[in-house]
Amino acid sequence: MQALAILKPDSVAQAIALHGAGEGARYLAGGTDLVPNLRRNIQKAQKLIDISGLAELREIRAESQSLRIGAGVTLEELCESEAVRRQAPLLAQAAAQVAGPTHRAAGTVGGNLMQDTRCYFYNQSDWWRTANEYCMKCEGDTCRVAPKSDRCYACYSGDLAPALLVLGAEVDIAGPTGNRREPLAALFADDGMRHLKLAPGDLLVSVDVPPQAGWSAGYEKIRVRGAIDFPLAGIAVALRREGDRIAELRVACTGVNSYPGLVPGLDALAGQAPGDAFFAALDKAVRKEIQPMESTLTAAGYRRRVAGGLAKRLVERLYEAAR
Amino acid sequence: MSTKPFKGVGERLPLVDGVEKVTGRAKYTADLFPADALVGRILRSPVPHAELLEVDVSEARRLPGVVAIVTGEDCDVPYGILPIAQNEFPLARGKVRYFGEPVAAVAAVDEQTAEQALKLIRLHVRELPIIENATQARAPGAALLHDNKPGNIEREVHNEFGNAAEGFAAAHLIREQTYHTAEVTHAQMEPHAAMASYDASRDHLTLHTVSMVPYYVHLRVAQCLGLDTSRVRVIKPYVGGGFGSRVETLNFEIIVSLLARAAGGTVRMQLTREESILTHRGRPESDTRMKLGMTKDGRITACECEVVQRGGAYGGYGIITILYAGALINGLYDVPAVKYDGYRVYANTPPCGAMRGHGTVNTRIAFESLMTAMALELGLDPIEVRRRNLLPCPTETINGLRVESYGLPECLDKVEAASGWRERRGRMPKWKGLGMACSHFVSGSAKPVHFTGQPHATVVLKLDFDGGITILTGAADVGQGCTTIVAQVVVEVLGVDWRRVRVISNDSAVTPKDNGSYSSRVTFMVGNACLDAANKLKQALVEAAARRLEVAPEQVECLGESFQVAGDPSRSIGFGDATAEALVNTGTLHFKGTFTCPVEFQGGKHRGGAVGSTMGFSYAAQAVEVSVDPVTGRVSVDKVWAALDCGFAINPLSVEGQVQGAVWMGMGQGLCEQTRYENGKHAAANFLDYAFPTIAESPPIDVFIVESIDPNGPFGAKEASEGPLSGFPAALADAVREATGLELHDFPLTPERIAEALEAREREQRAAARKAAKQPATEGAA
Amino acid sequence: MKRILRIRVNGRWREDAVADNTLLIDYLREQLDLTGTKQGCDGGECGACTVLVDGRPRLACCTFAAAVEGRHVETIESQSQNGRLSPLQQAFHERLGAQCGFCTPGMIMAAEGLLRRNPNPGEAEIREALGGNLCRCTGYVKIIESVQAACATEGEAA
Repeated sequence: MQALAILKPDSVAQAIALHGAGEGARYLAGGTDLVPNLRRNIQKAQKLIDISGLAELREIRAESQSLRIGAGVTLEELCESEAVRRQAPLLAQAAAQVAGPTHRAAGTVGGNLMQDTRCYFYNQSDWWRTANEYCMKCEGDTCRVAPKSDRCYACYSGDLAPALLVLGAEVDIAGPTGNRREPLAALFADDGMRHLKLAPGDLLVSVDVPPQAGWSAGYEKIRVRGAIDFPLAGIAVALRREGDRIAELRVACTGVNSYPGLVPGLDALAGQAPGDAFFAALDKAVRKEIQPMESTLTAAGYRRRVAGGLAKRLVERLYEAAR
Repeated sequence: MSTKPFKGVGERLPLVDGVEKVTGRAKYTADLFPADALVGRILRSPVPHAELLEVDVSEARRLPGVVAIVTGEDCDVPYGILPIAQNEFPLARGKVRYFGEPVAAVAAVDEQTAEQALKLIRLHVRELPIIENATQARAPGAALLHDNKPGNIEREVHNEFGNAAEGFAAAHLIREQTYHTAEVTHAQMEPHAAMASYDASRDHLTLHTVSMVPYYVHLRVAQCLGLDTSRVRVIKPYVGGGFGSRVETLNFEIIVSLLARAAGGTVRMQLTREESILTHRGRPESDTRMKLGMTKDGRITACECEVVQRGGAYGGYGIITILYAGALINGLYDVPAVKYDGYRVYANTPPCGAMRGHGTVNTRIAFESLMTAMALELGLDPIEVRRRNLLPCPTETINGLRVESYGLPECLDKVEAASGWRERRGRMPKWKGLGMACSHFVSGSAKPVHFTGQPHATVVLKLDFDGGITILTGAADVGQGCTTIVAQVVVEVLGVDWRRVRVISNDSAVTPKDNGSYSSRVTFMVGNACLDAANKLKQALVEAAARRLEVAPEQVECLGESFQVAGDPSRSIGFGDATAEALVNTGTLHFKGTFTCPVEFQGGKHRGGAVGSTMGFSYAAQAVEVSVDPVTGRVSVDKVWAALDCGFAINPLSVEGQVQGAVWMGMGQGLCEQTRYENGKHAAANFLDYAFPTIAESPPIDVFIVESIDPNGPFGAKEASEGPLSGFPAALADAVREATGLELHDFPLTPERIAEALEAREREQRAAARKAAKQPATEGAA
Repeated sequence: MKRILRIRVNGRWREDAVADNTLLIDYLREQLDLTGTKQGCDGGECGACTVLVDGRPRLACCTFAAAVEGRHVETIESQSQNGRLSPLQQAFHERLGAQCGFCTPGMIMAAEGLLRRNPNPGEAEIREALGGNLCRCTGYVKIIESVQAACATEGEAA
């Protein structure tokens, strides 16, 4: 393990001050993503700002149908929160599919959202990566997935992000240069190396979920095993049914790009009945949005195809249930 | 004082060392590391195939805190499990042949220093073409891994028993199919670890290690260090699983010993999970071309089988594995003719070895799959077709294997009834299926790998002044429970209170040599040796009691904790008094028990005929119920029913546990497990990418024990932990066939593979529909 | 950097000099000789190192010792009191929930975390709660049976 210091702030303000926008500082919460990466030397830190004790990050507040979820809330707390189950059950559903229960007892909403991207050329031991002459994402200059590209294709694999995206969530970010609120989608960039649009020292404080009246939502992921695994592809869907039509539809993906993203181009489907043409258009839109690369041992083509299939099945299921 | 003898066998007893395991008090090798031991780390080859021009350790040696460094220069003695095929050095010499092969090792004062020192070692290599698979290895002009192995062939096996051509001529249906099975690895939960202490004043080496066969380690370490075997002591602490991974002496065991001697002290070595997976010795990637002939009513007339195994970079167990793959085509059914061609091939991947079901699994997958496919083609039920091919018993197979107990028919009955086969097979709801297959395995190899002329098993019972009975055994308990089994056998014979008995195992300075825990030999062979020793001890106690009671020994009844004159409870003495009398004039009693497999069980006379030979085969049948997700292609195993003929269940609880574990490990191979190599580099040496099943998706497994009472096993017992594995993948594929209509030949049946096959079929159907639509309607009438 | 770590381990408060980069598993195994907690993988993939922190399961290999300062860490060694096995230990022993025993400490601690919150879990809840704990010996069948049996005996004791 690399040499490092652990600092324990008493408040968010102090955490940001301690971070000091320094290169070697990182925030530490549950550690389930960061610590294995530190052990493998693929992420580095000289100081860790341990924010797991900050009460102000650990609150779930329900306000007139909207939810404010502290970034330090654990995934387990999210799954078990009455307010979440009542107002945004999709979040509990997605959180319950993250890794294994022990990871969820420690891992947090913020940590899950901002987890590092993954790639089988990257998530390897130091020795392995040395032998492979490293990769662009860490200590090297070539993307091993796409050697001719000038970008990194490591894959974003968080389960919560697509769920929050279809719910239209916003995030509160505090940082050395001030605080801001923005749509969650604005946090992510299509770049395996810099998939988070955060300035040094920025800290995700909370996630705000707007009212969901009239919406039905679901999340499904494909993984080989029933626990532990990251998604090979994950799909969240939220829709509003009116009569025998789908009045509004949002679909978001994970595990297939360097960022979690809302599938664009679904506006055209609004107001349509979910028939063959509808699903053909949906499938096309999903497949167009996602460009999985060979960043896992499972073929990209399979991940892409399944993402489309999962989206269709979820829409059908939610549409039927919303009757 | 109990007046009834205690029961030892046939009881659902917890493990005698179970309390240590559930309390965390059980000490595994890495739990014994003293704080002041030096830390040993291995430098591994960063290339899969190269000439090793120079290993420059000069800079690393200068690093403060580095105490010793060893390289291939420090050991020029090759090792390997088979005396005839030792072609591996503990640290590479001249060439490296797989990514991760040990090249040098460091002992340093702490972990960081050792790590830092590794980075200072400079390797100069000339890279060679990488042989990634058997096809490349066998291609004309392929680079050779070993100069003396043309064509990269470690061993070819060609034999024929019966007349295959005649058999096929008599067949009504002949089918041939090639099955591909991915390489799998043991992934025992405990990462490899060892600790070596060198005593320079006596030139003694003590090694604590995770071995399943400490005796092999003892021999190979002595050989590689040039030490007289009397100066080596090998101790096996608690071991966290083996499954075959620790049957061979492994490179790190020799390396840590070399380091300890070079450092003149104690060196601890804990391998990472990645290194543990790289050490491998798992089941090879295989292509199995299976051809069967069948009569109209489902009788097998002949089998032709060609197996190509990618064995990895060194010989290891390869010759045995490729022989097993052919030998155990027989012994399960009555197959009148078998032609077998096996090729064990070298490649630039970590060496394969023995893994649960050694050599037999991939052949069994192919055989069972094809047998079922042909049964269906003939309109026969898969269970029925197996009933039509049962062996007579007793019998000797065409390749000289003896079968003296045979519970397969009853296994089939149990599984058929429990799974609701007759009512449900063929009538499952959409995307659900029910499948079945059978399998078998040896209860110990009747001829050991190292032929010494010694008995196949030796144990010692010690009885001393305290009345305590100590079982001294070299049988390695690695979690399969053999320590409990030997205690049960002794308690059963003597009828003594459990608390009187202790088992001391696996310290070469104390316990008798044992051939080790491989090929499921321990219950059968060590069990029989315990029976022998316990009977001798009992006889001595009965004679002593007779002296005290002043009657003839034949008049003494042994009640375990007491001895009485038969029919006269008023005349009895306790165990302590009997012991005191037995020790008079002789002192501490040691009774040695041994067991030897008679030569007539040691297989056919042909070359390699000993492989597969055993005194008793276990037999298994299983049914598997699955659901398939049509969108993702993911298979869920909903339920398994497994029946095992283990001869006699010395411990039914343990038998159930072994069967469940074996079936489940077969499930891993069938569903999701595979090692992966990309450009010669392993790509799945962790528990996310080498994904074996979690509790979340693992099915209930109902176990049915069939007791055929083997005439030679202890109390009739045979093995219980390997036989049930190899039936699973074929049963799974059979169930998936019912659920999807797909006939799959590539294992594991990953979601990706199934989704691909479903899509390919849809494409074909669409193409066929388009073609049909284009055809003029009149053509159909022609 | 080292700190004086004040921490409660298996009921007892301790103060130890611990480097900030020390993982909880190494602190337990190497400084306190509590070797019941096992390392089975290279980080967060197997659950063998599961301990309880303030009653909730936690991966000791993904946790810095300094990060659980002031909290209560319970390991497998705390589970038997005065030589009496806990109901889970008793059940794992009697029902062969442990074969090689290497995953067992982590498995029992994860199950203990479950039973403290849900004394009567159904099979699905047991599978759910032990999803992060790998076992290579048992096929998990007898692990589930062991947890169920422990619930039954705890019910009787109550």
